[in-house]
Amino acid sequence: MFLALREMRRTKARFGLVVAAVALLVFLIFIQLTLQNGLLTAFVGAIRNQSAPVLVYSVDGRRNLQGSVITPPLEAAITAVPEVGRAGRIGEGTFTATVDGDLADVALVGYEAEGLGSPTALTAGRFPERDGEVVANEADADLGLGLGDTVALEPGGLELTVVGQAEDINLQVTPTLFTTYDTYVAAVRSVNPDARDPLPNAIALTPAEGVTPDQLSAAVNAADPEADALPRAAAADETPGVAQVRQSFQVIFLLYALVVPLVTGLFFLIITFQKANALTLLRAVGAPARRLVAALLVQVVIVMAAGIALGTALYAPLSVQRVGSIPLRFETRAVVVWTVVLMLLGVLSSLFSARRVLRIDPVEATTGAGVQV
Amino acid sequence: MSDPTTDDTTDPAEPSLVLEDVRKVYRMGDSDVVALDHATLEVAGDEIVALVGPSGSGKTTLCSIAGGILSPTEGRVVVGGEEISDYSPKQLTTFRQDKVGFVFQAVNLVPFLTARENLLVVDELGRRRGAPARQRADQLLEELGLSARAKNLPGQLSGGERQRVAIGRALMNDPALVLFDEPTSALDTKLGEAVMELIQTEMKSRGIAAIVVTHDERMVHYADRVAHILDGRLRA
Ligand SMILES: Nc1ncnc2c1ncn2[C@@H]1O[C@H](COP(=O)(O)OP(=O)(O)OP(=O)(O)O)[C@@H](O)[C@H]1O
Ligand SMILES: [Mg+2]
Repeated sequence: MFLALREMRRTKARFGLVVAAVALLVFLIFIQLTLQNGLLTAFVGAIRNQSAPVLVYSVDGRRNLQGSVITPPLEAAITAVPEVGRAGRIGEGTFTATVDGDLADVALVGYEAEGLGSPTALTAGRFPERDGEVVANEADADLGLGLGDTVALEPGGLELTVVGQAEDINLQVTPTLFTTYDTYVAAVRSVNPDARDPLPNAIALTPAEGVTPDQLSAAVNAADPEADALPRAAAADETPGVAQVRQSFQVIFLLYALVVPLVTGLFFLIITFQKANALTLLRAVGAPARRLVAALLVQVVIVMAAGIALGTALYAPLSVQRVGSIPLRFETRAVVVWTVVLMLLGVLSSLFSARRVLRIDPVEATTGAGVQV
Repeated sequence: MSDPTTDDTTDPAEPSLVLEDVRKVYRMGDSDVVALDHATLEVAGDEIVALVGPSGSGKTTLCSIAGGILSPTEGRVVVGGEEISDYSPKQLTTFRQDKVGFVFQAVNLVPFLTARENLLVVDELGRRRGAPARQRADQLLEELGLSARAKNLPGQLSGGERQRVAIGRALMNDPALVLFDEPTSALDTKLGEAVMELIQTEMKSRGIAAIVVTHDERMVHYADRVAHILDGRLRA
């Protein structure tokens, strides 16, 4: 500690710079993680946070709620599967609505029964009980979708009133309203009075007793080649676009996971070379090599910890902002995981320097080849 | 002078250094360089020996072997009653920590530590004693006339001051033997003589033995005895 801390105190500027560099990288990692999660939540939050353990699309729908259409024969085939506990229709559509005096796009998700496609949990208010009642995404309250707000679907002017709020229930980055299946059908009709009753877009299922969601999905898929059943989490992850978004971000994170240890590794290698004379001298006067390596590791841990702390401090105020319609959130889990990963990478990156320290031959102190101090 | 922090039990009658038939051969590709050839030398418990010889004659090699930085190819090395000829690198590290003091030809101070910390680091990196070590460092700095410079970094010290800090560092562990490799070569004559005088006083007051390497014949009168070395061979 003595050596490590004294050196850092005497060369504040250079250690300050590397801490700043680590902090900047950590800040960028956290912000991008938050963006990724915010984006995905805005994209498929409605699917993740709906209550049905299994969703069945039509194969033609390509795992996209809007593209999927469940024909009556397919619906009959699905509900006839013995592993099914309860089944309910889900309808989804995008509408133009007057929200807070302006025209805006909203998505409407209709479900037949609670537990079969309703939001998993409400943060405020209640579930729809009468026609024309909806649950809105909590974060959209300031758009005019708060508790008690009313929106009118255009054309036709069907009025919907927000009676409940839930967290992260948007679909396709569009403000989303959950409502009863009947209200959903009424909404489709109100904007297009000539249309026939819409077909459901998906069937929500709960497994029968003793059946897992995976088993139920497999049974449904085996029962009809037109059926594409997925457990809830898979349905969210397999939504078109989700994997691509994840992949792009993963490349970015991989780059960071290389850049951070590169920065710290090179920094410590350079300062180890620069103070080679001092380290040789200390070895010559009886300092065990492991003590010098310990001093190095202490510095690495301090630099990483300070960098991560500073990066997190920069990130915290930004993490609760909104980017466009995407609300961000402080990602505690990601912060913890990346803190551990970066610490390990930092220590690993300093192993080159540690090896250099271990290889110092104290006899070099006697030759006088070094620079005069 | 008695030092409250030391447990010095070395008998002045016992030699501080015994080199017996020591050979050091450097392997340079195919050819061998004999840096030290059957060197035999005994330094008494409180004796100051000047080691004089031309460049490349083996002076640094002899000091390195006596100080446990280098292992001899052949021969016996006993320092303060401890035979170190067959020590492992780890044992030698501990030995250097406890038994010898060094003032090297070139680099002697850690640039990012103050004068006082350059003394304390010896204690910090060995078996920590804490308060007694701090007392000893302060006392040494005072004796060496460096009290006012204790908080200065090496870069803020003059050449003579740096050399005095190095001497203090070498005395921190209360060694049986101190090895000075050309302690005055970077200083002008006047400063060099002052440093030699300081070395003499410090060694004699503590009853510590020393080998002082020098090119400069004018410095030898500070020693009790002169050993000449030429091409790795000692002539007492
Ligand atoms: N690591 C080494 N490898 C090969 N030869 C070496 C090595 N160190 C020293 N020598 C050789 O051993 C001989 C003695 O070297 P040494 O450094 O002991 O001389 P010196 O008397 O201290 O010289 P100077 O007065 O220039 O410091 C020289 O010929 C030198 O070239
Ligand atoms: Mg030499």
